[in-house]
Amino acid sequence: MILGRLAALAAATEPPAHEAAAHGGAEAAPHAVGPAEVLMHHVVDSRWGDLVIGPLNLGPTKHLFFFGVAAALVILVVRLAMRSYKQGIPSGLGAAVEALIVFVRDDIAEKNIGHDGRKFAPLLLSFFFFILVAALFGLIPMPSYDFKTGHLSLAGVTSTGNIAVTLGLAFISFLAQQWGGISKFGVVHHFLGMVPPGMPKALLPIMIPVELIGMFTKPFALMIRLFANMLAGHMVVTTLLLLIPLMAAISTAFGVLMIPISLALALFIMILEVLVAFIQAYIFTLLTAIFIGMYAHPAH
Amino acid sequence: MPTDPKALAYFAAGIGAGLTIMGGAAGIGRLAAAAMEGIARQPNAAGDIRGAMIVAAGLIEGVTFFSLIVTILLAIK
Repeated sequence: MILGRLAALAAATEPPAHEAAAHGGAEAAPHAVGPAEVLMHHVVDSRWGDLVIGPLNLGPTKHLFFFGVAAALVILVVRLAMRSYKQGIPSGLGAAVEALIVFVRDDIAEKNIGHDGRKFAPLLLSFFFFILVAALFGLIPMPSYDFKTGHLSLAGVTSTGNIAVTLGLAFISFLAQQWGGISKFGVVHHFLGMVPPGMPKALLPIMIPVELIGMFTKPFALMIRLFANMLAGHMVVTTLLLLIPLMAAISTAFGVLMIPISLALALFIMILEVLVAFIQAYIFTLLTAIFIGMYAHPAH
Repeated sequence: MPTDPKALAYFAAGIGAGLTIMGGAAGIGRLAAAAMEGIARQPNAAGDIRGAMIVAAGLIEGVTFFSLIVTILLAIK
């Protein structure tokens, strides 16, 4: 997957016997990128252009671009699925997409938000499909050319492995939760209803901060959970594959021996990552629905 | 005992990662054991138990990842 980097690393760390005499240690400095740098280079965002407006740099970055591609892909797939509806009965892609949509609408939205859960179904469906597609994109090796160093590398790009992206998703989830309460009870009663009724007044100074903090920690937990899962998963895959050049630095025989082991481990972890993508999308959507339900139907 | 702050940070990151995985694996292990026992007692409820198990595992892993983020911050600063 990281063929370009593999070649560069192998070339730079060849037994320096014939190089040391000619170049000494100076040759090593510009080429010796350690595995940590390669790892970080693959999972961290990289800027593709600059568009400075005031204090903000709105230029496109790797994660922003693939975020847009994931969203466009979701819209495209749903449009194609809609096209396959003949007399109310879908076929092929439409049937598969419909199964997922009905699952989210019935088991997640209506079960947790109650009879008016369908209002929130489009939002929850957007969350589910977008997080799933963005995570699956991270498993597809994309060739990318780094203009600065001129290295070609093949690696997946996970836009949800960027905390800014998950912050945006969690913020929208936060707004949806507040809307769940405000749309039913109005602003004042939404906040008044957070404190359980029929409770001794002495506990109010404790309950109010607890509820307010809870209001913010719930989306914060959503954000960190998704971000860390996506980031950690892809870091593990990249690390396992980086073992090949690392072993090759010690001796070429080790490097060649390491290839099947590393590939098998990386393949196993990638299969696990597909499962984790589904699970994380499901958990994000489910928890958002549960929290909206908590504010829309204070069950106290 | 190294006194250089950077060395101590790496050291702490290693210990932190170990502690993190201890807590996370213990919790999820207990969860899996209880789920297996539940399915063994009542195979009809296997679907419901499996769903609840996955949700709970996701939540526990979420908490594990909080402390993992702290560890990673130590290791890269």
